[in-house]
Amino acid sequence: MKQSLLGALGTAIFLALWEALGRSGVLGISWPPLSDVLAMLADENRWPLFGRALGATLASTALGYCWGTAAGLALAMLAHLLPLLRRGSDRLAAVLNSVPSIALGPIFLVLLSRESTPAAVSSIHVFFIVFVSVSSGLARATPAHRDLFAVLGADRLKRFRRLELPAALPSLVSGLRLAWPAALIGAIIGEWFGAPRGIGILIINAMQNFQIVLLWCAVVLAVGSSLFFYGVLTMLERATYERFG
Amino acid sequence: MSAAAAIAIDRVSKRFALAGSEEGVLALSELSLSIASGEFVAILGPSGCGKSTLLRLVAALEQPTAGTVNVNGAAPNLVSAHHALGVAFQDHALLPWLSVRDNVALPFRIAGRRVDEPAITRLLELVGLGRFADARPKQLSGGMRQRASIARALVLEPEVLLLDEPFGALDAVTRRQMNVELQRIWSARQITTMLITHSVDEALFLADRVVVMSGRPGRILREVKVPFDRPRDPSVMRSEAFHHLVDDLTEALET
Amino acid sequence: MRRPLVLRLVEDYWGVLLILIAWEFWVAINHFNPIVMPTPTAVVGDLVANTNVYLSNVGITLGVAVFGLVMGMLVGTALAVAAWFSPVASGLLNPLTVLFSSVPVVALIPVIARLLGYDISTVLAIVVIITFFPSFVFASSGLRQPPAGAEDLFRVLGASRLDLLLRLALPSAMPNLAIAFKLAAAHAILAAMIAEFLMGTTGLGYLFAETKAEFRTEQAFGASAVATIISAGAFLAAGWVEKRVRERYT
Repeated sequence: MKQSLLGALGTAIFLALWEALGRSGVLGISWPPLSDVLAMLADENRWPLFGRALGATLASTALGYCWGTAAGLALAMLAHLLPLLRRGSDRLAAVLNSVPSIALGPIFLVLLSRESTPAAVSSIHVFFIVFVSVSSGLARATPAHRDLFAVLGADRLKRFRRLELPAALPSLVSGLRLAWPAALIGAIIGEWFGAPRGIGILIINAMQNFQIVLLWCAVVLAVGSSLFFYGVLTMLERATYERFG
Repeated sequence: MSAAAAIAIDRVSKRFALAGSEEGVLALSELSLSIASGEFVAILGPSGCGKSTLLRLVAALEQPTAGTVNVNGAAPNLVSAHHALGVAFQDHALLPWLSVRDNVALPFRIAGRRVDEPAITRLLELVGLGRFADARPKQLSGGMRQRASIARALVLEPEVLLLDEPFGALDAVTRRQMNVELQRIWSARQITTMLITHSVDEALFLADRVVVMSGRPGRILREVKVPFDRPRDPSVMRSEAFHHLVDDLTEALET
Repeated sequence: MRRPLVLRLVEDYWGVLLILIAWEFWVAINHFNPIVMPTPTAVVGDLVANTNVYLSNVGITLGVAVFGLVMGMLVGTALAVAAWFSPVASGLLNPLTVLFSSVPVVALIPVIARLLGYDISTVLAIVVIITFFPSFVFASSGLRQPPAGAEDLFRVLGASRLDLLLRLALPSAMPNLAIAFKLAAAHAILAAMIAEFLMGTTGLGYLFAETKAEFRTEQAFGASAVATIISAGAFLAAGWVEKRVRERYT
């Protein structure tokens, strides 16, 4: 009980500080009061703009999320079933993860299109996290379990379906939860390379036109959507751990 | 004129709060026990009878809900603050990043005293770890780790030694060996000792007095004075008198 | 009996090699203008020809990343220790950590740039922000994972709170801190690069932005390649450090 009370207090203090810093003007016009930002967010005239931007970014994020998850799952399962590929896929994933996202922008621009680039960059971020989570999750089935299945006469595929896949489920869901913020960041970066609309575009435009409050609105929108889906995925993770952990 | 008790437990009760239950769980009920200076008392009882709770009260890790606990006339937390309590748990609790020597030296450092290196060396020799002073805990076997834990418990020459199933995690053979070792080590110091165990053999071999506890809530069922002379040879465990006492106590435990 | 180096490299990096080869052919088949998409060989050529340009920028990016990484880890650990000392502080900080974990840091770059200036201080701040949070999370959980029974032991031995922190909690947290270090090492370099790209004046990210704008695409890709290599290298080096710390502290 006390913990959640403190938590609420902590958040309240944070928000109050934000407002105070803004009102006092101690950090200049770069830090507007929270109330100004909220006022602009509540401004109905702006909603079409916010709606389109948020919609575009979330769509790219969701798309990248699906692609990345599919690719991560596929490669992890393949590497698990064919141990020869194991080290190679680990290295590949590590290298892909090390490629700066901004470098991926121009590449996908050529390979795909302006509109698809955000989703593509996003998918790379997701792919790595899902691949690592599922790989370690699949490895979780202990030798004792495997022996049991061998004695029960299960073949490789059956063992995979009934033992290793369910064992990997909690790790997969944890990975999915962590992958969401990364997917969002990927989408935003991808938009910088010429996407027609999105939160990332909003941020860049606001920055270049010195529209500070608008900039903060875009940031709040990004954080808000990140938090929302993060919360949904956290609940999903908890449910899965209870069932399969 | 009898000496004042080294450990005086007077009508102690301990109640633990339990989520979803108003009264909680009564771990100990009006328990009284007195341990004389230099006496080795073993507390025997089934799992969950509260014997560990009793030890934790003496170690100042818990506070009694009713009644008092005194160690040499002072409250346990005072004795603990003066670094005069020695303890060895079932988890050896050796710090993995320190060598055996540094682990045994830890009580000195916590007490802010100068580390007495010769004393540590003597103690390590006493417990049979002389050659392993610079090894790290993960390089030692279970039995060796417990020896280190006991050495650490003795290093500050405490007023009281508290042992909570120190050999519980060891296999039967090693456990037997450790009992013989502990007897030998204890004979060199004869500190007031309280041993918690669920092994009847162990209790009878090591202690001057065996106290049998019942479970939930914990109270004392019986006290048995152990008649064998010290120092005790392992062969005493094969004597008829020993077997008789084992049967007796085992029966008491099962009631 | 070690197998030949070439064979081992191929076995480990077949994925990367596959992509590089496919890339080379893709460009050849599509007759891409080098401005749009250069071949891997062209990129390597530029790397060799202009090594000093790359080196000076690598130095800056790497320097900022390392400095920011250290500062971020110190701040994160310090906050974790504060939370450990005070349950009140812990309760207050907890929701903020959830908040921070889902903030897209890249969205903060313009804001911080306005506050600190469009130069290297913003890049540093971004690296600190990105590394402080994992350090805080891992340090917090590490501080609370002492060896079994050790906390009771310390209490019975009459240890002070400070002793508990310095002799037990902090050493117990070392393996976790090493994990945070490993995660943060690669991210630090990439984050520095993104910040430099957006508004830096030097460093690999800035090099990338500048050369891309001037259509010197081979050099832009060269900058990316170098960043990839040092990032992967940092991850590997940090992994080695993590392994050693784990062996020492567990």
